[in-house]
Amino acid sequence: MKDFYIGIDVGSVSTNIVLIDEKCDVHYSAYIRTNGQPLDSVKKGLKDLQSTLQQQANIKGVGTTGSGRQLIGTMVGADVIKNEITAHATATVHVVPDVKTIFEIGGQDSKIIIVDNQMVIDFAMNTVCAAGTGSFLDHQAERLGIPIEEFGAMALKADRDVRIAGRCTVFAESDMIAKQQFGFSKSEIIKGLCEALVRNYINNLGRGKKLEPPFVFQGGVAANLGIKTAFEKEIGHEVIIPKHFNIMGAIGTAILAKEYIGESNTKTRFRGFETTDLSFQPSAFECGGCSNNCEVIKVEMDSKVVAMWGDRCGKWTNSL
Amino acid sequence: MRVSFPYMGTTVVYKKLLELLGHEVIMPPKPSQHTINLGVKYSPEFACFPMKVITGSYLQAAELGAEVIITSGGHGPCRAGFYEQVHRRILKEEGFDIDFIVFNSMFRDSKQFFKNIMKLKGNSSWLKVGQSLFMVYDMIRKLDKLEKRVQKIRAYEIKKGEATRVWDIIQNQFDRANCKGSIQKAFYDGSQQLDQIKTYNVNEKEKMRIGIVGEIYVVMEASINMKMEELLGNLGAEVERSQYLSQWVAYNALPAFINQTHEVEILKKGEPYIPINIGGHAKQTVGHIVDYSQRGFDGVIHLMPFGCLPELVSQSIIPKISQSLNIPVLTLSIDEQSGTANSLTRVEAFIDLIKGKRIKKIS
Repeated sequence: MKDFYIGIDVGSVSTNIVLIDEKCDVHYSAYIRTNGQPLDSVKKGLKDLQSTLQQQANIKGVGTTGSGRQLIGTMVGADVIKNEITAHATATVHVVPDVKTIFEIGGQDSKIIIVDNQMVIDFAMNTVCAAGTGSFLDHQAERLGIPIEEFGAMALKADRDVRIAGRCTVFAESDMIAKQQFGFSKSEIIKGLCEALVRNYINNLGRGKKLEPPFVFQGGVAANLGIKTAFEKEIGHEVIIPKHFNIMGAIGTAILAKEYIGESNTKTRFRGFETTDLSFQPSAFECGGCSNNCEVIKVEMDSKVVAMWGDRCGKWTNSL
Repeated sequence: MRVSFPYMGTTVVYKKLLELLGHEVIMPPKPSQHTINLGVKYSPEFACFPMKVITGSYLQAAELGAEVIITSGGHGPCRAGFYEQVHRRILKEEGFDIDFIVFNSMFRDSKQFFKNIMKLKGNSSWLKVGQSLFMVYDMIRKLDKLEKRVQKIRAYEIKKGEATRVWDIIQNQFDRANCKGSIQKAFYDGSQQLDQIKTYNVNEKEKMRIGIVGEIYVVMEASINMKMEELLGNLGAEVERSQYLSQWVAYNALPAFINQTHEVEILKKGEPYIPINIGGHAKQTVGHIVDYSQRGFDGVIHLMPFGCLPELVSQSIIPKISQSLNIPVLTLSIDEQSGTANSLTRVEAFIDLIKGKRIKKIS
């Protein structure tokens, strides 16, 4: 019987599930669109994983990460519920041990993580706005009527440079239209967009930070060749894209679960693949106990309350 | 006079002082989502976050019948100096005719300071004023002592939330105390209650200490900074704030030539980075980061209201300080739009960073 660990990354755009073994090799991975339904997408992913597993597989630990980590962690019975920054850095250090700078661009957030000696020493995350993330590109690709999969490669066909204002998604659009009038081709516009995104990213997140090679670029947007090229142009150095670039968060949290189980010598809290058949009902209500009117989230499993959070005072969280 | 004041930190002390002087105190409600909504609605869009929350507080106090609002002024080129003027107009437009008493440092405009004191003094004798001042200062110091213990205990409590609960009880006990003896008793009882909180035994070496620096209002008022102290405490870190009321009072009440307070030292420590006064608490912010690193703290959380000018300056200097002193600093900007989930992720990652730095690997 072989031992495995599951990592689940529930992001705004995609839900990723991986299965790793004791050596942290990836045996299964799935990249599913979240479509605003984190519970359903995880259930679907776990069902699929179960069907590909051989009989004698033993799940020793489970980790979750991403913005939906708490809910999904409760549902599957995770051993480790980790923030995305730590999860991503863990995976990257495993793949590129001497990494110094990690660029991570996902659907709605982007991060920069500075690593020294395999330790995170600094990080930044986009704050107020999602310009410069995957959603920005997704939107522009749709505007230009080009599938997002082909978007990056098209940027490489450009002959000329064009500068597009990338501070704000909406303004980028009007600038794009203006530039199209000047006779720039679609691929040139795309190249301009890629460069705008990278410029924005470095200005926002890299401000005041010393960016040193090796650089690793991961997250869904790393699939975009145009962005990779723009990064290399901007920083004047080669950028490494790991093999599993789009599921690094899930890999990281699976590694963390493995380490946790190894160090604490405990048994996993994983509820088993049968959870996919249980009914999970998250609901929210306004507390009304004071003027804060906190929105409290309640999760019920087969009509039994298993978790509550969202209250500022802890009245509900501690009630379990 | 029916008086009120901005809600910030341990409010029982302002209340106590005003009560001792014979005023009727209208306690503004603790800032809640409703306060913030009110403040945001009636304040200029580009005003800083503390100003908006305070607007909300004032409106709530006015509705409860406050006639006079007592507040501190600002010094240096920071917008806080204009708060009172703006607030006065906003309140007037909403139909509240409220008088303001603004305290600036007595060394800047001693005449105005004296006038303010006279207004507050009312019919009390000078002896009474002196006694009240000393008593309240004693109270602040005792409360701050206890609060500093709460901030340590919280990291190791077995039952989560107990230290916070005891801290609320302590503040209530102090609220009821009105003579030297009862303050002493409240202090003694409070210490006892804190002693009784069951905690984990943690090795001195494994203790994690984090300082909180930044603009005074977002640092001191837990209800608008996502309860940062509690959050850090629950993640297992001891916390110390850059601002405590007793320090603030001591620093602002003493003339420069005998002012030996901690704050003077802090300002000096910050001077290599920000040599001149640029308003707000920017100098204190950088000074405290230097101080925390010298005292062996593991990290610093820097809180700033979104768009706060002085703190924007300190924010841009922080990477340099952080690097040269080898102390991690996380800046969080706070306003009505900030999402808690996003900030929580950062704080968690920051704690991981600190832990990782110790065991030399990502945890």
